[in-house]
Amino acid sequence: MNPIYLFFHKTGSPPWFYNFSGKLIPWLWAGFFLLTGYGLYLGLLVAPADYQQGESVRIMYVHVPAAWMSMMIYGLMAIWGFIALVWRIRIMEVLIISSAPIGAAFTIIALVTGSLWGRPTWGTYWVWDARLTSELVLLFLYFGVIALYNSYDEPRKAARAASLMSIVGAVNLPIIHFSVVWWNTLHQGSSIGTSGSSIHPSMLWPLLYMAIAFKLYYGANLLSRARVRLLKQDHRKRWVKDLLSKETS
Amino acid sequence: MSRQAAGTAFTALLRRDFLLAYRRRAELLQPLVFLLVVVTLFPLGVGPSPGLLANIAPGVIWIAALLATVLSLDSLFRSDFEDGTLEQMVLSGQSLALIALARTVAHWLVAGLPIVLLSPLLAMWMNLPDEGLLILIESLAIGTPVLSLIGAIGGALTVSLKRGGQLLSLLVFPLYVPLLILATSAVSSAVAGLPYTGQIGLMIAGLIASMTLAPFATAAALKLSLS
Amino acid sequence: MSHTPFILASYLISAAVLLWAALSPVINKRGLLKQLKLRQARMEKTQ
Repeated sequence: MNPIYLFFHKTGSPPWFYNFSGKLIPWLWAGFFLLTGYGLYLGLLVAPADYQQGESVRIMYVHVPAAWMSMMIYGLMAIWGFIALVWRIRIMEVLIISSAPIGAAFTIIALVTGSLWGRPTWGTYWVWDARLTSELVLLFLYFGVIALYNSYDEPRKAARAASLMSIVGAVNLPIIHFSVVWWNTLHQGSSIGTSGSSIHPSMLWPLLYMAIAFKLYYGANLLSRARVRLLKQDHRKRWVKDLLSKETS
Repeated sequence: MSRQAAGTAFTALLRRDFLLAYRRRAELLQPLVFLLVVVTLFPLGVGPSPGLLANIAPGVIWIAALLATVLSLDSLFRSDFEDGTLEQMVLSGQSLALIALARTVAHWLVAGLPIVLLSPLLAMWMNLPDEGLLILIESLAIGTPVLSLIGAIGGALTVSLKRGGQLLSLLVFPLYVPLLILATSAVSSAVAGLPYTGQIGLMIAGLIASMTLAPFATAAALKLSLS
Repeated sequence: MSHTPFILASYLISAAVLLWAALSPVINKRGLLKQLKLRQARMEKTQ
């Protein structure tokens, strides 16, 4: 049997997923810390300050990867949501709802760091520029999905509702983003971010390392949240009871 | 399912919704009164300076329209859900998307269309210049159906929840952002003498897209809420 | 104005948010396991 197919088939079993992810998580954390350390070393100490913005451009190394993650996670939630709705795969439902708070956390980081970046660079803590405004709307989309999930009593029904909402939100997300970009050009000329589309390599590498590091963080955090949720949902089942007795012995 | 059966089902649903709406007319007036009150609050809050009001008129009127629509959306499916009619509709074998569309059309006719008809009054209160009035009406005529279509998805997702109304607004407002931006820009451009056909065109495209896609999402949400 | 407090604040707040997000499942798991063990002990006692 095709090994890849077999792998995905196995992940559908909660105890197998629990054990496998338990082994994977430490590696993900290790990778995160290594890459973050190196990326921050490059970004904070080695890379030069920006010609126009000065030292504050160093905030980019955490702002931009966080913004990228906030969008990637929502996209994943929508794709997994579609799979979960069509094929009713329970582990996908668990992954979707475990991803939402992480996505919201990255969105908050992007908003706060964006705001702090704006103050020394443009003189104001908040500016309704296209990217910050889109991020704020994205945060509300995350809150909506989380609130919708928490309003339902039955977990599988809640996950299906959250999946549907994620899909609807994701379909609207590009439309929202473009409309906000367009709205921004109508009312203001300012733009946040790097000075131009081509970034100097000394700035690009720390950015990429941080981006990968954040992906590893997401993986580790997602799997640990998913494991807890599986334990909670399956607490009556045999595999959890066996696990508990193994832990007490 | 024959075309004829689907068509008669659609009209039957519409007729039923109108009859129910007529019996609850006092309840339906509430969101509209809310609309009037909200718009009235703005001059009271920011001062009656004509220039200022004219400046913010498109946004204020459209935001008030959004708020009023969200108020009326909560009861879209609720009474049918509570007395079991919705379940019967799902079991009837008719296309659930068609049922959702019928309900949405009825909603727009009793909740969205009145907003369009009231807009000249709101434009007068907010001191909107005459050049903007026609476009305001046009933008509302195209936009309020979209509000009903997208709002129906939210209404269907929250119908089985105890306090779904508040959650409904949180879910649906981010989705309304593009419409708000386009509509207010169209009206402001018309007032300034600038071209606005692009915005209107995009809004029509949005209307067609939501008319074709939203009923299916609403149907899926209804099936979910009933399961 | 010096940019350092803003850079520092950005990284500290980001670290704090990421730390909290990483710790909350760990705390939840500990509480959950404790709760489940208590329940299991109670059930074994009644049997």
